[in-house]
Amino acid sequence: MASRTASKDIITLRGSAAIVSEYFGYAANSILYNRGVYPEENFKKVKKYGLTMLLTEDEGVKTFISNLTAQLAEWLEAGKLQRVVLVIMSKASGEVLERWNFSIETDSEVVEKGVSREKSDKEIMREIQAIMRQIASSITYLPCLEEPCVFDVLAYTNTDVAVPFTWIESDPKLIANPQMVKLHSFDTKIHKVDTLVSYKNDDEWDES
Amino acid sequence: MDENSLRRFQPDWYSPTRLLSSPVDYDFPGDRFIPNRSLMDLDQAHTLLTNRTKKLGKPKFNNEYRKKMEENLKLDVEGRPFRMLVFRGSPKSSRQSTRLIDEMRRSDEEIPLQNNDNRRYRKFPLKATRALDAPLLSDDYYSNIMDWGKSNILAIVLGSILYIWNAQVQKAQILMEVKREHDYPTSVAWSDDGKTIAVGCNSSKLQLWDAQTSKLVRDLQGHQSRVGCVAWNGHILTSGSKDRAIINHDVRARNSLVCLTRVHGGEVCGVKWSSTGNALASGGNDNLVYIWDISKMSSRHYMHRFSEHHAAVKALAWCPYNSDVLASGGGIDDGCLKIWNTQKGTCISTTETGAQICGLQWNRHHKEILSGHGFGTGESPCQLCLWSYPSMARIGEPMRHASSSRILHLSQSPDGLTVVSAGADETLRFWEIFGPPQDGCSANITDLDNLLSLKASAVR
Repeated sequence: MASRTASKDIITLRGSAAIVSEYFGYAANSILYNRGVYPEENFKKVKKYGLTMLLTEDEGVKTFISNLTAQLAEWLEAGKLQRVVLVIMSKASGEVLERWNFSIETDSEVVEKGVSREKSDKEIMREIQAIMRQIASSITYLPCLEEPCVFDVLAYTNTDVAVPFTWIESDPKLIANPQMVKLHSFDTKIHKVDTLVSYKNDDEWDES
Repeated sequence: MDENSLRRFQPDWYSPTRLLSSPVDYDFPGDRFIPNRSLMDLDQAHTLLTNRTKKLGKPKFNNEYRKKMEENLKLDVEGRPFRMLVFRGSPKSSRQSTRLIDEMRRSDEEIPLQNNDNRRYRKFPLKATRALDAPLLSDDYYSNIMDWGKSNILAIVLGSILYIWNAQVQKAQILMEVKREHDYPTSVAWSDDGKTIAVGCNSSKLQLWDAQTSKLVRDLQGHQSRVGCVAWNGHILTSGSKDRAIINHDVRARNSLVCLTRVHGGEVCGVKWSSTGNALASGGNDNLVYIWDISKMSSRHYMHRFSEHHAAVKALAWCPYNSDVLASGGGIDDGCLKIWNTQKGTCISTTETGAQICGLQWNRHHKEILSGHGFGTGESPCQLCLWSYPSMARIGEPMRHASSSRILHLSQSPDGLTVVSAGADETLRFWEIFGPPQDGCSANITDLDNLLSLKASAVR
């Protein structure tokens, strides 16, 4: 029998940034599909992370997300990105209903010295796969979004970062008294990404 | 079921059954609360029980305190400072947006950012690149007689004649002349496509002239006194007048008057439409700034009313990269440059310049705003000042006209690189101060802006 030692692949800072920003793109698409922010007909299936992922066909959203992930990859390579938040708000009232928080811990040694790390690609894929499954299954406990919603993406960056015109200063768009659920995290050994979803407390089913 | 409720059902607990329905979970058996006085702080308990909670008056926090709080709030758990940014890139909509201008804009934004190291250093001009003679330029704060249109033609009123100066070929010609007695143009504005020019006169006349053929297209009625300011929003022409009214005209309809709103207490000195065309800002001689929603103007319901200025507000300018932000400048007794958030109706910042502000122009290529000043007692009368946004720090050296005469009007070129200022010294001076343009970063800059008159609005 062949030996079971997992072969480790070399991960560079750029590669890790690409993995994380790609993950964010797929996660955002998955959230938009599962939470019904955009109608299901607008999504097409692709194979990724060993799963069937859904990507939006809507040109506007596609470009929005690809511009966004390009900028995130850049910030990740510079080690300046701390958190990315996808906020889902009611279209009518602008009230924040859900907040998907992706916190990123960067190994500063890699950013400063440019060393690379080793981790099996398959292992990272598996970790991401677990998170994607969790996002899909989150609809079982997240409150139903009855009204039409829109989404926004916030980035928490270091203060010394140069802000392009496409990003403006914002407030954190927090939810008052949220319920929080922590999902799995994945680690490329250069960037560690934690995922957390907080949502508005659904008061109807309050059990005392 | 947690531990406490389990305990309720223990048979050796000698509490009466009524405890089962008590609202408080007792940690120990028993139906009487026997306090342990030695463990209590009787004095504190007494004050807490008897003191009425004081209503907090409006807390007066001074700036130092505010700054400290802001710094603290901006640090995350580990004490690292962070910035919060929201992505406002290409518009995301579920409708097929096939407008060419959106495609162009998107391809502009995909150009990768230049490395910080390659940032070109800007030079701020001390002298104007060119000066044009403008004899008979009326030295009147309450008129808006200069406008640089999208077709790259500058319109300027000298005396009672409206001249148009082609910036490309640098030639001037007369567009129209007001021959009535005691009448002269008091406001000009180019339409969004740069073909028509609206001229408001001292006698309350409001006319539309075709710039290419130099012919009068239309006469619009409605005002009873001098028309001091005009602004276009697509096919809607808004005019503000000394009769305190703001009139919206639909220039396509036979009966052009859409609505007349008389809410200002004094002459309407400035009207400006936001870049999305949904909101109108109007400043008056009554020191007030009103923000109007386009759909609610006829009912006199304004969105916001800003009363913080202490003098007439003539200078108004909407931010090109954040369509909720408005800058307003006060007159001689005020001299404040205020930045407003028109979504929330709050004042973001106030900068005291000490001189009347007669014009405001945002820099589309860098986050800056330029203010033009007239008379004043402070440190910047009769100058052009460049401020960084949002920090509102002065940049560069002040720019002046000859013999420190006051600046009356400001306008910027369609490519957003040059600013022209009209001064009481009867000259027009051109300043190349807004460049150089940063690739892929400028808001709303494409050559298409000159040809098409579409406004790309951020649609979700």
